Amino acid sequence: MPTIVSFDQLEKNREKLRASVNPELSTILVCFGTGCQANGARNVASAFTEEIKKQGIELNVELGFKTTGCHGYCENGPLVVLRPQDILYLRVKPEDVPEIIEKSVKQGIVIERLIYKDVNTKEEIAQYHSIPFYSYQKRIALRNIGNIDPTSIEDYLIQDGYKGLAKALMMDPDAIIKEIEESGLRGRGGGGFPAGSKWRSCKSVESDVRYVMCNGDEGDPGAFMDRSIMEGDPHSVIEGMIIGAYAIGAVSGYIYVRDEYPLAVKNLQIAIAAAREMGFLGKNILGSKFNFDIKITRGGGAFVCGESSALMRSLEGKVGEPRAKYIRSVEKGLYDKPSVLNNVETWNNVPMIILNGSSWYAGFGTKGSKGTKVFSLVGKVNNTGLVEVPMGITIRDLVEKIGGGILGGKAFKAVQTGGPSGGCIPKELADLPIDFDSLTKAGSMMGSGGIIVMDENTCMVDVAKYFIGFLAEESCGKCTPCRDGLPRMHKILTAITEGRGKDSDIETLEELCDVLSYGALCGLGSSAANPVLSTIRYFKDEYAAHIRDKKCPAGVCKELITYRIDAKFCTGCTLCAKKCPQECITGERKKIHVIDEAKCIKCGICKDVCKFNAVMIE
Amino acid sequence: MEKVAITINGRVCDGYRDQSVLNLARENGIHIPALCYHPELVSSGGSCRVCLVEAHQNGRMRLVTSCNYPVREGLEIKTDTDLVKKIRRGVMELLLSRVPDSDVIRDMAAMDGITETRFFKDEGKDSRGKCIACALCTLVCEEVVGVCAISMLNRGRDKTPGTPYHKSSNACIGCGACAYVCPTGAISLVDEDGTRTIWDKKFSMIKCSVCGIPHIPEIQADWIVKTTGKDRSFFDKCPNHR
Repeated sequence: MPTIVSFDQLEKNREKLRASVNPELSTILVCFGTGCQANGARNVASAFTEEIKKQGIELNVELGFKTTGCHGYCENGPLVVLRPQDILYLRVKPEDVPEIIEKSVKQGIVIERLIYKDVNTKEEIAQYHSIPFYSYQKRIALRNIGNIDPTSIEDYLIQDGYKGLAKALMMDPDAIIKEIEESGLRGRGGGGFPAGSKWRSCKSVESDVRYVMCNGDEGDPGAFMDRSIMEGDPHSVIEGMIIGAYAIGAVSGYIYVRDEYPLAVKNLQIAIAAAREMGFLGKNILGSKFNFDIKITRGGGAFVCGESSALMRSLEGKVGEPRAKYIRSVEKGLYDKPSVLNNVETWNNVPMIILNGSSWYAGFGTKGSKGTKVFSLVGKVNNTGLVEVPMGITIRDLVEKIGGGILGGKAFKAVQTGGPSGGCIPKELADLPIDFDSLTKAGSMMGSGGIIVMDENTCMVDVAKYFIGFLAEESCGKCTPCRDGLPRMHKILTAITEGRGKDSDIETLEELCDVLSYGALCGLGSSAANPVLSTIRYFKDEYAAHIRDKKCPAGVCKELITYRIDAKFCTGCTLCAKKCPQECITGERKKIHVIDEAKCIKCGICKDVCKFNAVMIE
Repeated sequence: MEKVAITINGRVCDGYRDQSVLNLARENGIHIPALCYHPELVSSGGSCRVCLVEAHQNGRMRLVTSCNYPVREGLEIKTDTDLVKKIRRGVMELLLSRVPDSDVIRDMAAMDGITETRFFKDEGKDSRGKCIACALCTLVCEEVVGVCAISMLNRGRDKTPGTPYHKSSNACIGCGACAYVCPTGAISLVDEDGTRTIWDKKFSMIKCSVCGIPHIPEIQADWIVKTTGKDRSFFDKCPNHR
């Protein structure tokens, strides 16, 4: 397609593209997100192309076929969607492909073994948009993901792509900033700073050069919303950045992507090249006087580079270390020039806000947190994956309605939100609305939107120990509280979980938490106390049980538990004895078995293999 | 420079915009302890967290490092509140557990009433010597000397200054600025029999033509000649006999 030099031409091209697509055409969409590819989506896709060839079906006339970005329901991948029937098939294997074409595509018959079965209601649902995981969602940020081929700019244009940009270029830059301010959009990367105010402050600083940057250095364990957006809808991020650059008057932009996201880098590169070719990037964008271009920078893998000042140093080619932000990035950021850094999801929301207006966006969410938020829902729930919901949804709705409740019918205990430096919120606060301010008030944070669901078998001291260990490992080492404080906190927590805790430990931990919260250099250090503070706040009994009674109530901490076989339930099947790596279970066939505590290494295999629930933890 | 007055502990102090609070406090004879800050090094400061003070501004209070906090209109600084003391005690206790052998840290901690630490100490194979990883040595090497022979290696608690891969470095000129600037005396510099040893490298030194005492590594003299155009014969004599 030739370079587009006017708004009219953009709309004419869009109409032409739309007319070339037959909406009634049967289309097979195979998810090509990282999760589905890891589960074998490539083989499924090539099975489809082979089968289509074998059957002599003509593509784009009799049948459409494309690979898309992530649908979010990753644990059930590879996912295959059939349009226009809206059928979703889960865990598809290459062997299923001929049958899908023969039955579902040609005759419209649903293959029951491949559709969704609700664990709780046992209901079988074939329609994509009817399964609870999707029906409760409101997709704005994820609007195109799963519908379009991320490597095709034409697909993006058909979905009103770059329409927001065209509208923005006809607006006054200040009016754009006002629109973003009034939408109430707050930074999706963790800080929750109002995006519009950030843009305005940056613009108000006198300078010949300004920069926009996109933070794609997603590093929280278990969080993958930014990856999915960059992989599945790269143009939405690019379009948002162009609008932002026009609004603040920047001529170049950078996308900082972690190197562990090769597919995101690849799809962004393809998208930037296509956008440049069509005239959305480069000189005189869409015939206007505005020039702007974007470069991709790949991160080196340090968690701290997700912190804004460290990211900018890394972008400059220096060691990724935070600096004191007493002079803000909007004044002196990248190369000491006024800069706006926003997260992937923040940029991705911008075109929709411009296109549909701030009041449309502000119609979703709560008073202080507008719009929707993408969460990565993981842990002990039935449905895990990426979900987008209006801000203010309660923890209970997220866990029960979308997550489908706790795995294996166990009891819900807590959710951990906001990544490693977030906090744990107990089941008593299950009706807490999930928004920036409520989470902070409860001692946790929104962070980038990670939600880890924990069941009754989770030890909260162990959880705090895990996150502090992670943060100690990832500390850049520049400031004393984080560098030397976190390893010491980890040591104290380890001692507690191993039955060597002292009565004074809780107080010592709280003191160290204060040193971190008040004294650390950057946001990572000052929020690193959250996992400990929140678990002490809500689960003090559990700390006390470890320290005073030398017991782990959840049965997790190995040094504090013993495995025992309950004579009432043991049938003498010998399975546990056969599987025990220590060979410390004795007993004859059909007689009660006994564990030798002295030799037991508490690996838990006997409990896992026992079919009669006869192995108990005490 | 735009003049700005702020208050420190209730006292009005006249400074200028963007001057560091620590600097202004020192000018006014107000003591704030500090380790990782050196007035000659532009990017020093902010890492040891010993110079934390309360900054009250726009109705908001937070603890900031005075060494790099800019003087701005309406700022009110408090250096000796309970919160400042409590957090500094925490920082000192952490530093003491990191470098229990450093007399500088021991004395400084004692001023805050910390003589023993509750935490594990970095000892034995984990010993950090006397290094608090403040990075002043690497900054002086880069910003003042201009050779970048050492940099901060690794991350987290293993962060340490050193030459690349801890191998003797061709870039090092043996000037000893790193050892001079180190607040805890953690860097070993030995001058013996006309040879200087630093960062596992030996430098032969020029002897003073008057007193015969070795006074500067030959490579350092060459570096100064190369970068400043000074005559090499200038180094024939030591500073005492020039």
